[in-house]
Amino acid sequence: MAKIKKKGTSGQAKNFITRTQAVRKLQISLPDFRRLCIFKGIYPREPRNKKKASKSSTGSTTFYYTRDIQYLLHEPLLNKFRDHKALAKKIGRALGRGEIKDAARLERTQTPKITLDHIIKERYPTFVDALRDLDDALSMLFLFANLPSTAAIPPKTIALCQRLCLEFQHYLIITHSLRKSFLSIKGIYYQATIQGQDILWLIPYKFVQRMEGDIDFRIMGTFVEFYTTLLSFVNFRLYTSIGLVYPPKFNASSDDQGAELDAFTLEGKSVAEQPKNLINGASATNGTTHATTADAQAEADKLTNLDEPSEDREQGEDLSDDRAEEITATDAIDTFSPTADDADILPQPAPSNEESGALFTPFTFFLSRETPRAPLEFLLKAFGSKRVGWDAVLGDGAYTTNEGDRSITHQIVDRPNLPEGALPAVPETKPSPAQKHANGETDGAADDDEKEEESSNGRLRPGTRVPGRIYVQPQWVWDCVNQGKLLRPDLYAPGATLPPHLSPWVKAKRGEYDPTLSLAEQEKEGEVEAAMLEDGDEDVVEAESDEEAEDGVDEQIEEETGMKIAGSESEDEDEDEDEDENPEQDEEWGGISDEAEDLEDPDVQHQRELEAEALGQRLTANQPKSEDETRKNEAKMKTKAVAKRRREEAEELERQKMMMSRKKRKVLEKMLYGNEKREEEAEKLRKKRRALEKAAQMI
Amino acid sequence: MAPTALGQKRKAVTRDVTEEDATAPGDVFRGDQLDQILSQSEDEDDQESVFSDEEDEEEESKNEADEESEITDEYGDEDTSDLKPNYTVVQDANGNPRYIYKEIDPAYDSEDSDAAEGNNTIGNIPLSFYDSYPHIGYDINGKKVMRPAKGEALDALLDSIEIPKGWTGLTDPATGKPLELSEEELDVLKKITRNEVPEDGYDPYPDMVEYFSSKTEIMPLSAAPEPKRRFVPSKHEAKRVMKIVKAIREGRIQPYRPPPEEDEGDTVIKHYDIWANEEPRADHVMHIPAPKLPPPGYDESYHPPPEYLPSKEEKATWEKEDEEDREKEFLPTDHDALRKVPGYEKFVKERFERCLDLYLAPRVRRSKLDIDPESLLPKLPDPDELRPFPTTCATIFRGHEGRVRSLSIDPTGKWLASGGDDGTVRIWELLSGKQIWSVKVASDEPANVVRWRPNAEAYILAAAAGEDIYFISPISILSPEEEEKSRAILDVGWGYAASSETNGQSKKETPAKWARPGARLEDQGALVRVTVRSTIKVITWHRRGDYLSTVSPQGQSSAVAIHTLSKHLTQLPFRRLKGLAQSAQFHPSKPVFFVATQRAIRSYDLQKQQLVKILQPGARWISSFDVHAGGDNIIVGSYDRRLLWHDLDLSTRPYKTLRYHKKAIRQVQFHHGGLPLFADASDDGSVQIFHGKVVGDLMENATIVPLKVLKGHTVKSELGVLDIDWHPRQPWLVSAGADGTCRLWN
Repeated sequence: MAKIKKKGTSGQAKNFITRTQAVRKLQISLPDFRRLCIFKGIYPREPRNKKKASKSSTGSTTFYYTRDIQYLLHEPLLNKFRDHKALAKKIGRALGRGEIKDAARLERTQTPKITLDHIIKERYPTFVDALRDLDDALSMLFLFANLPSTAAIPPKTIALCQRLCLEFQHYLIITHSLRKSFLSIKGIYYQATIQGQDILWLIPYKFVQRMEGDIDFRIMGTFVEFYTTLLSFVNFRLYTSIGLVYPPKFNASSDDQGAELDAFTLEGKSVAEQPKNLINGASATNGTTHATTADAQAEADKLTNLDEPSEDREQGEDLSDDRAEEITATDAIDTFSPTADDADILPQPAPSNEESGALFTPFTFFLSRETPRAPLEFLLKAFGSKRVGWDAVLGDGAYTTNEGDRSITHQIVDRPNLPEGALPAVPETKPSPAQKHANGETDGAADDDEKEEESSNGRLRPGTRVPGRIYVQPQWVWDCVNQGKLLRPDLYAPGATLPPHLSPWVKAKRGEYDPTLSLAEQEKEGEVEAAMLEDGDEDVVEAESDEEAEDGVDEQIEEETGMKIAGSESEDEDEDEDEDENPEQDEEWGGISDEAEDLEDPDVQHQRELEAEALGQRLTANQPKSEDETRKNEAKMKTKAVAKRRREEAEELERQKMMMSRKKRKVLEKMLYGNEKREEEAEKLRKKRRALEKAAQMI
Repeated sequence: MAPTALGQKRKAVTRDVTEEDATAPGDVFRGDQLDQILSQSEDEDDQESVFSDEEDEEEESKNEADEESEITDEYGDEDTSDLKPNYTVVQDANGNPRYIYKEIDPAYDSEDSDAAEGNNTIGNIPLSFYDSYPHIGYDINGKKVMRPAKGEALDALLDSIEIPKGWTGLTDPATGKPLELSEEELDVLKKITRNEVPEDGYDPYPDMVEYFSSKTEIMPLSAAPEPKRRFVPSKHEAKRVMKIVKAIREGRIQPYRPPPEEDEGDTVIKHYDIWANEEPRADHVMHIPAPKLPPPGYDESYHPPPEYLPSKEEKATWEKEDEEDREKEFLPTDHDALRKVPGYEKFVKERFERCLDLYLAPRVRRSKLDIDPESLLPKLPDPDELRPFPTTCATIFRGHEGRVRSLSIDPTGKWLASGGDDGTVRIWELLSGKQIWSVKVASDEPANVVRWRPNAEAYILAAAAGEDIYFISPISILSPEEEEKSRAILDVGWGYAASSETNGQSKKETPAKWARPGARLEDQGALVRVTVRSTIKVITWHRRGDYLSTVSPQGQSSAVAIHTLSKHLTQLPFRRLKGLAQSAQFHPSKPVFFVATQRAIRSYDLQKQQLVKILQPGARWISSFDVHAGGDNIIVGSYDRRLLWHDLDLSTRPYKTLRYHKKAIRQVQFHHGGLPLFADASDDGSVQIFHGKVVGDLMENATIVPLKVLKGHTVKSELGVLDIDWHPRQPWLVSAGADGTCRLWN
């Protein structure tokens, strides 16, 4: 007779262990266990049969793999935890006796240092593994880099997070491995591709974060501890892989002045390889602070003198670049085109980092005071721009803080288009007439002086437009980056209604709504007609009532917030004034296209048109009514036919389902449910869009 | 209580002391006794302080009284009857002498109140019980203790007598006699009532003796002279100090320095390449990596398309719903400018929840039903990862007259051998392009194939011209040892061939003749000539370098021959083939042999001698093929301009068909040195380079990426590039053109 098997000695009962058992087995406290699990990446499991897995009658909730826990038993960290516990006791005793000094000494000298190197190597045997798991690490560290220090988060940690993040950004800038970015309501998403791994992370907007609620910062702190170690090793590897010294030199004083990225100086590794200031090349010469004193002129001259050779140097670099390109041109991958039809077409890789990273290379950017500097700087630099300047208010490290700099080609502005008159005068830039007389200068000279002084101050009068410069809103940068090409800047002109900002990661699946396509392309058969019928019944009645309703809404708003409406009215007036202004500017500008001029027209209707155009459909005149009716009839017929066919299809499906086994039927139903849900969603969106388009047409 | 103690002591003495002692002079005796008494008195004091009951006090006082009387008796005894016996002799009734002994004083302590002699023994009962009797009790001998005289008679007496000293007017309950107290006793009583120490001369407040005072004593406590060690330095200490000094000098003991304060985190994290020697580890089956967060959709945009904005009802329902029930954690909102975007207030919370998910949420693998087919496609490698591959022409080898038919790089990668239409075989230095050696193997026929023997230890080149194969060890490039080795390898077969011939094994027609090529060629290094039945077009070596196969398409049954170099033996494995044999290859690791005919490629197991597989590339006329180093993938080039990739595990049909050439493909070749490259040569004068990565994983198909078109050879009489060969290690390629040149591409 076979031996009787004892219960609970094999199978699930043995493979799983509850959390309490695990903690008891490891002989550590629960918080320590938690830390250990976070460090080692051990997570609970769901046993297939909970009842079999738990030996107790009451249902335990959390199960771990026994193997996992066994493996934790050998962890050197466990001993560190125990040491720490012993030390805590000693310190507690010392404090109890009132020996504060002793306690402090104990804490200072005997605190066991926890290193996570071995865990990193263990969890990520290869570098690519580490890159694959970098998403959460980056999101977390970028968040902590933007948090204020509290009792739970020591300032040291925050400084470390900031440093690591900036170092990582520097790597992305140098290798141009940033791919996409997206402005979301949560923050800014970035995606980079390093060694074939897509890394996506989210950085919050620079606001004070809400930290109340049941957020346990000890847990977050543990994660941050692990992630900082991970990122520092990753950074080291990334830097050394491109022949840079890690850690890069960090200029604390520059950082104090808000230089952020520019506080770091990257250096080449070997002596033979000239230590190149990859980032600070240009800005180092211009980095001197602009004095607002009377010698500003002289200084400015000096600076311009300095600039010229630097430009020469850049040209030289360009030449060498060209030469390099000649070599790399042959080095690049050729495009293969099949000579016959029946062959397979092999996919070829997209252009490499260098090509996509050169989007903004020829331009010089200037960021206005109101724009978010850090993301723009990072994005522009990662896509090739070497010269990014900004207002001195935004911190140190700009290519130029002089808004009037001639070399600036693009200025990023994020403020409403206000006429000059609407703005308060800027008193300090204008010297008083008395002074002028005292100086004994002619008026013309004084005007020149004024201009110079303005430029030396680094700030133009708000609202002025430097001719020959392109003014765009920040979204232009993001959209250009995501589409991989320079977009028309006039769509993003200051004050213009922006086209919708779309996520670059959504790949339209079958049956899903795609806002980039026109409505007609994705509507299902019979959908338009059905919609038309629905609307048609109420059309005549609603057309007016809609407007009324809208007016009503407006009135409501007016009642609620009188201020706002008043503001909008004044804006309208402002726009009118703008119109007066624009021609002058256009004359100065010269080179703007006719289209842009048309678009500059601040008419409300025109804006709507513009919107419609952005959405990709044409505005058409209203159709005659008789045609409408015939159409309606046709539509009715068609919808009926479609409905009938659908019904038949559904019946057919039911019949087929009967033939299936239960298991398969369930699977099918699940699939259908998913599809239906997706389709419903798409339909809802299409319906909304239809309504919107219709509303646009009506106006 | 000194007197009491004195009395007690003396009594004890009288009892214990023997007669001789008693005779000792009284003075000395007394002095000794005194000493003891002094020492004892303190003890008594202690004892007394413990008892403070009045009863005890009384008892003691009683004892005192008794003892005092005794003392007087005993003194009397001592004084008067020193040698008198303690009995008296009387005559009894019979006239006999009768000794009447004195009553023996029992050796009880005098403190024992029970043993009071002559006392009343009635115990602790009131005396009034005896009021009606003449006696008041019994003594220890049972005699009545008579009531003392009392009453009028006594009164009369009293009147006549003066009140004696110490009269208290109390009756001693024990004796019934009037209690008399002495003066001293009264004093004691008085003191007790005042709560004073009853002892005489006791000073409750003595002057304090300052033992430890500022006063320095002049006199030493002891008169001993000061020892030497007090003023001579200690040798032992000197030794210990020297030990420490030495340790400090040698640096074994560091002077104490407080541990340095830790700076920033920089010192904590040491930077080094943790992945310096990384080795991939297969993922554990049970490990489920944390799922990544999905990328944001359109509705998360700060400025989404207007149709994504929620309508009023949707907004209301969203707000009404419980936070956990919401499908989306945010409400799409539109901001018409970036500056108007507020901070996302749940940011930290969402991050925290993600953290919780990472370490607290059980992970389960779920099979998804509708998978995006695109996600299954292998991701294209980054252009940087595809490098290196040959891009430019580095060297041109000129010298052949007419076409260069074939070329081969030797296994060390130094030399290039080529054979051309002019019937010469030439050897070039690969890097410099200099011709080192050349031999004319045939005058009327082209040297169709040259192939180096794959083993690097010896330099042996197999060259075929017409029906002859020459095994050449080119003397001019070899060192003497290398030449010796090569010669040995080629010559070892002579003996074998001779022995088998003497055995008379085969008189029938041999498939090939092994012979020496003649003095002229032998001088130049061509050591062996094998003649087969028809023109050889292809030579392939087995990886070990002992076997080689030749293919001569016109040869009918002798089209494919396998030669054994070490035995000088030629075998014809196939009696007849279906179609014309085009090429043959050995499997890189298994005993499998591939033979290509015009339409199909067959693979044979050489050990079992049976057909394994037939591949149908679908080409009309196969020109050449090559087996990947793994042995599972084959590329096939065909005269109808196709390049076909076969995955042997996948199917007998090609995995990919590539048609990038305008003219026939002459030669295809894998890189056999570990780089994922392959190339094909075509009659349109171009060589195309492809990236072809084969993963060991069966689940993943090979990745093929077209990389480069190398153009350089000119097309002459419809022929372009005739042969290519890869460098054994570097990403370098050589090509032989119909224009009479060879080119090295790197």
